Amino acid sequence: MNTKITWREIPQARLAMWALIAGEFAIFGGLIVMYTLNRLKYESWGEMAQHTNVIAGTINTLVLLTSSFFVVKAHEAALHKNKEKVKMWIWLTLICALLFLGIKSYEYYHEILHGFTLPGTQLLAEGKHVETMYWSFYYTMTGLHGLHVIGGALALFFVMRHATKTEKDYHRIEVAGLYWHMVDIVWIFLFPLIYLIH
Amino acid sequence: MNTHKKHGFWHRYFFSLDHKDIGFQYMLTIFVMVSIGGFFAYVFRMHLAYPEMEVPLFGLVTNKDYNMLITNHGLIMMMWLALGMLLAVAGNYLIPIMIGTDDMAFPKLNKLSYWFFLISVILMISSFFMKRGGFGGGWTMYPPLSVGDFGYNTAYTSFKDRFFTANTFVLLAITFEFIALLMGGINFFVTTLNKRAKGMTLTKMPMIVWMINIASVLFMFSVGPLIAGAFMLLLDINAGTGFYDVYRGGDPLLWEHLFWFFGHPEVYVILLPPLGIIAEIISTNSRKPLYGYKFILNLTLIAAILSMMVWAHHQFVSGIDPRAATIFSIFTIIISLPFAGIILAYIATLWNGDLKINLPMKWAIGAITLFTLIGGFTGLYLGASVFDIYAHDTSFVVAHFHYTLFPTVIFGSFAAFYYWFGKFSGRELNKFWGNVHFWLTFIFFNGFAFPLFLLGLAGQHRRIADYRQFEFLMQDPLPLYRQIATISAVILILSQFIFIFNFFWSLKRGKKVTSDNPWESNTLEWQTASPPPHGNFAVYPEVHHGPYEYNHPDREDDFLPQNKK
Amino acid sequence: MRIFPENASSYGADVDFIFWLITGVITVASIIVIFLILYPILTKNKSRTKEQRYQQGKGFQKLKLIYLGIAILAIADFYFLFEEGPIWRNIEETLPEKEVHVIVMGRQWLWEFTYPGPDGKLYTADDVKTINKLYLPVNKNIHMDLQAYDVIHSVFIPHARFKQDVLPGRNITKWVKMTKTGTYPLTCAEICGIGHANMKAEIVVLLNEDYKKQMAKLYKK
Repeated sequence: MNTKITWREIPQARLAMWALIAGEFAIFGGLIVMYTLNRLKYESWGEMAQHTNVIAGTINTLVLLTSSFFVVKAHEAALHKNKEKVKMWIWLTLICALLFLGIKSYEYYHEILHGFTLPGTQLLAEGKHVETMYWSFYYTMTGLHGLHVIGGALALFFVMRHATKTEKDYHRIEVAGLYWHMVDIVWIFLFPLIYLIH
Repeated sequence: MNTHKKHGFWHRYFFSLDHKDIGFQYMLTIFVMVSIGGFFAYVFRMHLAYPEMEVPLFGLVTNKDYNMLITNHGLIMMMWLALGMLLAVAGNYLIPIMIGTDDMAFPKLNKLSYWFFLISVILMISSFFMKRGGFGGGWTMYPPLSVGDFGYNTAYTSFKDRFFTANTFVLLAITFEFIALLMGGINFFVTTLNKRAKGMTLTKMPMIVWMINIASVLFMFSVGPLIAGAFMLLLDINAGTGFYDVYRGGDPLLWEHLFWFFGHPEVYVILLPPLGIIAEIISTNSRKPLYGYKFILNLTLIAAILSMMVWAHHQFVSGIDPRAATIFSIFTIIISLPFAGIILAYIATLWNGDLKINLPMKWAIGAITLFTLIGGFTGLYLGASVFDIYAHDTSFVVAHFHYTLFPTVIFGSFAAFYYWFGKFSGRELNKFWGNVHFWLTFIFFNGFAFPLFLLGLAGQHRRIADYRQFEFLMQDPLPLYRQIATISAVILILSQFIFIFNFFWSLKRGKKVTSDNPWESNTLEWQTASPPPHGNFAVYPEVHHGPYEYNHPDREDDFLPQNKK
Repeated sequence: MRIFPENASSYGADVDFIFWLITGVITVASIIVIFLILYPILTKNKSRTKEQRYQQGKGFQKLKLIYLGIAILAIADFYFLFEEGPIWRNIEETLPEKEVHVIVMGRQWLWEFTYPGPDGKLYTADDVKTINKLYLPVNKNIHMDLQAYDVIHSVFIPHARFKQDVLPGRNITKWVKMTKTGTYPLTCAEICGIGHANMKAEIVVLLNEDYKKQMAKLYKK
């Protein structure tokens, strides 16, 4: 074991991030399983899913995928300790994050306008009791994911500021980037489940 | 504990980054929580045995008070005492020093996790003082009861009304505590993998380090869905969603599944660290290598994986498909096997050993005996689904889980206190009062919990404030059993004061330890000063041996410290 | 002194049998474990050499003994499962032919029992209800539709060894066959709010003709 040490060669921050990501997957995994089971049970949820804005969702998916690419580039720049490039790529990522949140808010705005709210008062009044649950899951899952987007973006921002100011701790860019990829992957699970299956 | 004299009170108890100080902060916080939980137990036990009496220090217990007392007793003991003491305190104090490093991998994260823990404690305590009273929906918090007002018939009118209820606060408290323990768990995991002393391979780690880490990882994977579920329950209470409302497509059984999917692994999260503590103590005091180190480790890993597949045995009669119950019954029965192996390996360690029956050893053997003979074996009754139809939600279950949790959590913690106190404080606990404490606890714990088996078999169902209205439960000798249980419980609680006085008195005035290694133990924490300085070791140790090389035939001494060549 | 309440149902004795079976086996097992723990403590293993004490648990005799212990427990465990399987299927998974049909509804904090009206069918307009008192005929297969109105309750009939949680929005059908006449308690075993402790009902098990008379009385009301 000693001659081929593996664990100790892994930077501890990366190890911790892996553990955190595993924990996050347990949380989102639980939600996704619950949602999927209900989705299979209630056919009328497909009808509700048609009220989601698929175009906005697709754009958002592309935005997040692009931002993941930017984070990879930022990591590459961080390996070379290239201050300016790190700054640029992270800022591009942050713009993507803001774009994502903006589009998501636009979607929320229109859904709420159409009466699809979290407690679903309007649907309840129409007697569509089961359908309100779709929107409860929709807001819970995308909302929780949105919080993670905000958290990940803040983490990237502070890590970038710290790294470029002090010219050290560049490895943190990679760690925050890992988290960002996790946020991205969660969305890739959520998008088809919520938007696409009718 | 004299290393921080230059720092003031605030620094030591609130801002210190040293893992030993953080462990101590956790310990003091948990002492506060345990006192509350113990006081609740005293009140409702008194009420059960003497229902017409005003309980001293509390007054008359109404049904509402009673529900609140049992619920919060359960929550505090399970979530804050058991998880906190065994993961947070033991992990924080022992892991860095036993693997021979200076501190946790992320001291600031460690501090943050304590702060979250403190917030959870504050939220929990403030939940008792909500306008509608404390949370009274059972510690398992089954909706729809926990969504509403527990039947106080008070209509909610506004968001403020809903938010400032005990339900919301308890759920928030639990979520905060889980986040604290998750952060702690990540820290343990990284510290263990990454900061081990030179030469300490994974199989040269002391058993307790393994156990706490397995428990932390198990906790991390089982708690995720419950965090999501708690979030959904919070939304049900505060935002009017219907995740658990059957009339809106939700399902109350969903919560039961989520809760027990966490709840059963949690039992093993709680059980594994005491098994580690017991392994350390038994091996040291038998002057013998721990029997079958890798064997125990493998069995533990098997048990950890199996523990994720047995949750529904808490729900045999909850309305799940009876055919599913059969499968869970089989898994439940199978999970007894690895633990039988572990316990037998511990007993095999005793055989041929040069036994030193000192205080930690007494607690350790007491824990094994009670846990196996009564806690473990009565699990078979409940794992057998047929008898569970009758025993479910009766005092039989209460007795069973007290016999599994009390010997592990309480006996295990006391074993650790008596074993490591010298290291932790540089002083000795009083032995005479330690013995008195042990025997009183041992005897009166049995006096308290055993009658509950008989009451449960007689059909006494749980969580009933007043048994006088049930004629079949008032026949002789059942009221007598209730009184025996209560009197024993009161003496049990009182005898813990002996420990508390002994602890704090010894901390300040106890006899100074004469040796840094009083038990002549091998593990690294004994190879440094007592108490260990900030940074733990003057020179970082290098490890050459496994942790349990006692009575090595080639050596003159009967022990061989890990860092000795 | 009796350990269980008097058995009054057709399958109660089977449940008790499982209890005594497990008790018998674990009594023997406990004696062995007590011996295994006490022997080294009492004898203190004084005359052992260093070699004897230093055992790593690899390829030693004792590891085989541990495997033997696990195997014995496994056999005992699976014997329990083997014995209880048919009983479980009988109580929980099968429904014998229906002779009497009632609805048991739990609500905060009382039990509501519904019987078929003169037409002999449940869920019709002429159904009759009683509160906190359930009349049942002796020696008949009784199907109970178990329901809850508001929160989770649990129907517990200690003398029949019967228990089933009831959930709002679900109908769970279980059966029971009372073998003795008399009055037995029916309690709630799942916490359901401040009135949980007061939720108790009586089951009055009557001879067949008395039961019919009782039903006729209910119809008149």
